[in-house]
Amino acid sequence: MSRSISLLVFGLMVAFFGAFFAWPIWETVKVAVVDARGNPTVENVLEVFRNALYREGLVNAFSIALWTTLGCLVLALPLAVCQVRFDFPGKVLLNSLVLTPMVLPPFVGAIGVKAILGQAGALNSLLAAFGWMDPMHPIDWLGDGRLPGIVLMEVLHLYPILYLNAAAALANLDPALEEAAANLGCPPGRRFWRVTLPLIMPGVFAGGTIVFIWAFTELGVPLVFDFDRVTSVQIFRSINDLSGNPFPYALVLVMLLFSGGFYLLGKLLFGRGAGGAGGGRATTGRQPVVLSGVAGWLVTGLFASVTLLAVLPHLGVVALSFAGDWYQTVFPTGLTLEHYHAALGHELTLSSISNSLKYSSLAMVLDLILGIGVAYVVVRTRLPGRQLLDVMAMLPLAVPGLVMAFGYLALTREGRPLDFLILGEDPVLLLVVAYAVRRLPYVVRSASAGFQQVSPTLEEAAQNLGARPEKALWRVTLPLVAPNLVAGGLLAFAFAMLEVSDSMILAQQAAHFPITKAIYFLIGTLGTGPNLAAALGVWAMLFLTVTIAGASILLGKKLGALFRG
Amino acid sequence: MVPITIHQLTKRFGSQVVLHRVDLSIEAGELFFLLGPSGCGKTTLLRHIAGFYRPEEGRIFFGDQDVTDVPVHRRGTGMMFQSYALWPHLTVAQNVAFGLEERRVPRREMEARVAEALEMVQLGGLGARKIQQLSGGQQQRVALARALVIRPTCLLLDEPLSNLDAKLRLDMRSEIRRICKEFGLTGIYVTHDRDEALSMADRMAILEGGYLRQVGTPQEVYRNPTTPMVAAFLGETNLMEGRVLRASSRPGAWEVETELGVLRGRSNDEAWTPVAGLPVVVSIRPESWSFEPIFDTPNRVEVTVNEATYLGAMVQYAAVPERGAALKAVELNPSQVRGGALTLHAAVQDVVILRK
Repeated sequence: MSRSISLLVFGLMVAFFGAFFAWPIWETVKVAVVDARGNPTVENVLEVFRNALYREGLVNAFSIALWTTLGCLVLALPLAVCQVRFDFPGKVLLNSLVLTPMVLPPFVGAIGVKAILGQAGALNSLLAAFGWMDPMHPIDWLGDGRLPGIVLMEVLHLYPILYLNAAAALANLDPALEEAAANLGCPPGRRFWRVTLPLIMPGVFAGGTIVFIWAFTELGVPLVFDFDRVTSVQIFRSINDLSGNPFPYALVLVMLLFSGGFYLLGKLLFGRGAGGAGGGRATTGRQPVVLSGVAGWLVTGLFASVTLLAVLPHLGVVALSFAGDWYQTVFPTGLTLEHYHAALGHELTLSSISNSLKYSSLAMVLDLILGIGVAYVVVRTRLPGRQLLDVMAMLPLAVPGLVMAFGYLALTREGRPLDFLILGEDPVLLLVVAYAVRRLPYVVRSASAGFQQVSPTLEEAAQNLGARPEKALWRVTLPLVAPNLVAGGLLAFAFAMLEVSDSMILAQQAAHFPITKAIYFLIGTLGTGPNLAAALGVWAMLFLTVTIAGASILLGKKLGALFRG
Repeated sequence: MVPITIHQLTKRFGSQVVLHRVDLSIEAGELFFLLGPSGCGKTTLLRHIAGFYRPEEGRIFFGDQDVTDVPVHRRGTGMMFQSYALWPHLTVAQNVAFGLEERRVPRREMEARVAEALEMVQLGGLGARKIQQLSGGQQQRVALARALVIRPTCLLLDEPLSNLDAKLRLDMRSEIRRICKEFGLTGIYVTHDRDEALSMADRMAILEGGYLRQVGTPQEVYRNPTTPMVAAFLGETNLMEGRVLRASSRPGAWEVETELGVLRGRSNDEAWTPVAGLPVVVSIRPESWSFEPIFDTPNRVEVTVNEATYLGAMVQYAAVPERGAALKAVELNPSQVRGGALTLHAAVQDVVILRK
């Protein structure tokens, strides 16, 4: 690619980023740190820490994030080790099912969980049926254990991110590094602690950072669990009294600082010295140990039960969508297609589906254009400052969706500079941009991986035979990295469909609701609302399973590389 | 320092047999080479000695002790990996100290031994460096120090020089041999580089397709290869099919009918007497040919030299006989580059008759 085009990509990216990433963040931050008379102040931020309510919210958000990350580690590491080290019955199938928990925003899963764990839910009915619980005094699983419930939901939703990272890191490890330790007298257990774990730490931490930030800023789950004492929900609730009140903005700033801090910490601690390069190149491929008989089935059982546990909320949603009635019974009574029928008739559902498709596919196109440009400049050119471009494209991972949404909200009020993005009352442009910014890292990561694998000499050969640089890129390199681009695009699309924060805050008229907000709205409606929401959720799940499975097949083992900080 | 005995070792990966009933005894203090083309099973055999593999059949002994079922981490061997396998999360000194920590060597002694080991491989003072800060040659020395510092029962080397450039490779050859001899270590060295094996080995074993083909000193295997494969693997040679005609009038020599005419040669094995009519292969190395007449040999071939490669110290010729494929011939210390119709001569002891 010629230098001028590289510079153009660079310029475009900087402009896009300045306008739709840095500016909205600054806009949010500004309200918090500049007082009414235009003087800088830290008073609002300090107030966040002085106020017991806000402090409690932060502590809760932090502990949710911490426990979620630890829970994901405990769940994902053994699975990853088994996956890389052993051959066991059903390995291929189970490995491909690993992403299924991610096909549903966890807050939708939470409806399913409520149906199962609620006071009149399936679990209590089961206990009562066995005579282990007095039906007159049901256990309030969710009320007594809201925080653990939220953590559980998020662990079951997010552990695949850590799993993919850990498995990729393990698979890339030169087996000789472990064999050397064995040769020097280190028994297997200690070997894992002294050699394997430290070496895969960069990979594990890259995934861990994303999980942590995700859980720290998660809005949907605590919202559905009616848990208000956490920062994200406190911010969401205060949307309505934004006028002049700087505290929500201060909260957003504090959240941003924490997330950014965790991200940087992860980069500093484990970013460098990544990769298990011990000099020379890996010589022996890893031979998975074939587990036969009981041991093999134990591992299969472990995998299957974790996956089953993780899709339990989904099953709950599916059951709910078909349930005539599901109250104080173990299983729903009276299967019916009524909800699907009703969902199709409901004014919200059809429009929300088409809205989401529209927003997400436009965002995907925008992401692909930007992502290919950025990845190409970063991997293939020697343009000074190209690393900055890479950092820029990755930064949205460190910034909570809530922060971005708030910035957009502030910038698009009437009379503000970005008001033009709202066409009349239609937030389509705004949501497309918001989705695109948030999902850009996935496309950049997968495109970069593709460009790194395709040798530049292939393109040089085309140029040598008379193709202009742009033509060579178009005819040789792009077809070769196409699977990566398609996979990155599919993931960006899928995760845009699942976006919660932007959707909740930026889509304000029912006619423009995307699917996630429609589901949230339906959950809150009386009567068969939750069932309708579930029906809509099932539809979304089916759709996303296909998309994500497609991406997973295209990328194979490289999938893990997409979820890295 | 122990002798190592391998008894009837057979290894299968799935249905594929990668080692067939290998018998081998390696003496204490010997620098022993496992040599062969890739896929011959040499690395697999080394990994059995280290304990990474359990054989399907057969036993492995260190001295009198049967170690076949002893796990890797209790065998006490020191191994150098082809990729070096240095841990990038530890410093040079921490890498070297690892084995001592596993052996619970007291701190003070450990520090002294690590320093001593680094000194020995000429890396004194670099203990605090990160692995990534070292050059390939230095990394290789760290790997050697790490394997030696535990005072291993034997040193196992898996193609340790294959990632180095040519100059460094030559230096490290003598370095590794010096260290092994200084410590009286039993060393087992895997390579596919025949020059490395010929120049460093006390004895070597040549493997092919999972079979042990020949064991002997460098001179033995080079001068008296037992099979055409061994002859060709250890150096350039001209191989010709033939049939034994009769015992020569000279003791220990036989006449063989080949495309080049009747050649007189010796058998590669004193215990073997070729019989008339037996199909055999004759091996004549390029450096055995002479353009000057040799006393007392009937081995004479009329050739046309149409291709010569001048290398300074020698000239390589492609010499086409009247019948059969072109012969490779080498003349050392050449005063001229020859061409045209010439006669090649070979001494009887340089014409080696191999069983087919």
